Amino acid sequence: MQSIKKIIHHLFIPHEGNNYRAKALHIDFLTYYLLFALFLSFGFKTLYARSGDVLGFATDITVDKLYQLTNNLRLDNQLPPLESNEHLALAAQKKASDMFAKNYWSHYSPDGLTPWDFILDSGYRYEFAGENLAKNFLFGQGVIDAWMNSSSHRDNILRKEYTEVGFAVVNGILNGEETTLVVQLFGKPLTTPLAQVSQNLAEKELAPITEEVDASIPIVEKNPLIQKQPAILAQKTSPEIKNTTQLIFNSNLIFLSFLILAIILDLYFATKLRIIRVSGKSLAHLIFISFIFIGLLILTKGSVL
Amino acid sequence: MKYLVVHIRKEIKKNLFDYLLLFTAGVLFLISLNIFKGERLLEFIILLIFISFYIIWGIYHHIIEDSLHLKTVVEYILIAFTLMFLLKIIILPG
Repeated sequence: MQSIKKIIHHLFIPHEGNNYRAKALHIDFLTYYLLFALFLSFGFKTLYARSGDVLGFATDITVDKLYQLTNNLRLDNQLPPLESNEHLALAAQKKASDMFAKNYWSHYSPDGLTPWDFILDSGYRYEFAGENLAKNFLFGQGVIDAWMNSSSHRDNILRKEYTEVGFAVVNGILNGEETTLVVQLFGKPLTTPLAQVSQNLAEKELAPITEEVDASIPIVEKNPLIQKQPAILAQKTSPEIKNTTQLIFNSNLIFLSFLILAIILDLYFATKLRIIRVSGKSLAHLIFISFIFIGLLILTKGSVL
Repeated sequence: MKYLVVHIRKEIKKNLFDYLLLFTAGVLFLISLNIFKGERLLEFIILLIFISFYIIWGIYHHIIEDSLHLKTVVEYILIAFTLMFLLKIIILPG
C-alpha cells in the first residue's frame, strides 16, 4: 500500500525526487505515450487488415442493435414493434451496394433509381415504405439518436403504418473515403387490392422518404418469411473489430482523463509550492486536451439523410 | 484550489491575447468538426490543422515570454502527436 502511494505521489505530485514536475508529464513518459499511441494505431490497422475488411471503416454498429433500439423507441411511444424482414434487409443491402458502386449519398441514384425500386426488386410488395440513411457513425445509439433528432427521420421510425423493417450496415469507399453506410427500410406488405393506393409524389421529394404504393402494382401475397431475428446478411464488420472499436474509444477517454488529471495536479502543487521550472504551459495543455476531448465525442457522430 | 484559481487568473491576464487565440482556435476546431461530421478525411485534416496550430502556438507563446527551450518544444510536439494518433484510430482506422 505504501509503495502504491509512493508511485502515485511520484507520478502526479511535483517534488524534488521527480525534478519538481509530475513524472507522468516528463518527456520520457510523454514519449512512452506517443509510442503507445503509435502501437495502438498501427496495431488496430493490422487487426483491421487481418479481419479481411480492409476497405471498411470500423464501427460498433450492428443490425441487432439498430433493430433493438428502433423497436424500443416504438414501444416507448406505444407503437407495435416492427418485424424484421429479410426482403427489406436484402433491399437495404442492395441500396447500400448501389451507393458505393455509383458513388452517391442520396435517396435517389444518379441514374434515377428510387428506394422503391430496390424494395420491389427484392420481391417485397408494399402498401407503405420508407427509408432512413446514415453514414460514418461510430455507435448504433448515435445513429438512432441522430435520426430521432431529425423530425422527418423520427416520423419514419414512429410511423404507425409500418409493420416491418430491414437494415444494412455496409462498409466501402464513398467519394474516396472509407465509409460505413446504414440503410434502414420500413414497409407494410400489401395485403389487399383495396388498400391505400394513392401515390403522393410531393412526399417522394422529402428525405427520409415515405411512399404509398401505386394501384397499378400487382398484388403479391404478403411474404410468409418473416424472421424472428434480424437478418444478418448485410452485416459486414467482424465482431472482433466491433469490440475493439468500443475498447479503443474507451481507452482514448481514459487516457485523456488521466492526462487532464496529471496536469491539474501538477499545476495545483506547482502553484502551491511556488515552483518555477522550464516546461510547457500546463494551462495551455489543459485547454488543448479539453478541446480534443470534446472533439472525440463529436467524432462518434456521422451524418444522416 | 485557491492557488490554482489565482494562478490561472494571473496567467490569462498576463497573456490574454495568446489564450484568446488558443481558445478561438479550439472553438473553430469543434465547429468545423461539427459541420463536417461524417466526412472522415476532412475531419482528419481539421485535426491536423488544430494539432499544427497548437505546436506553433506553443513555440510562439514561449518566444514572446522569452522562455523557449528545446525541451518545451518537444513537450508540445509529444502531447500533440500522441493525441493525433489516438484520434486517428477513430477517424481513419484502416
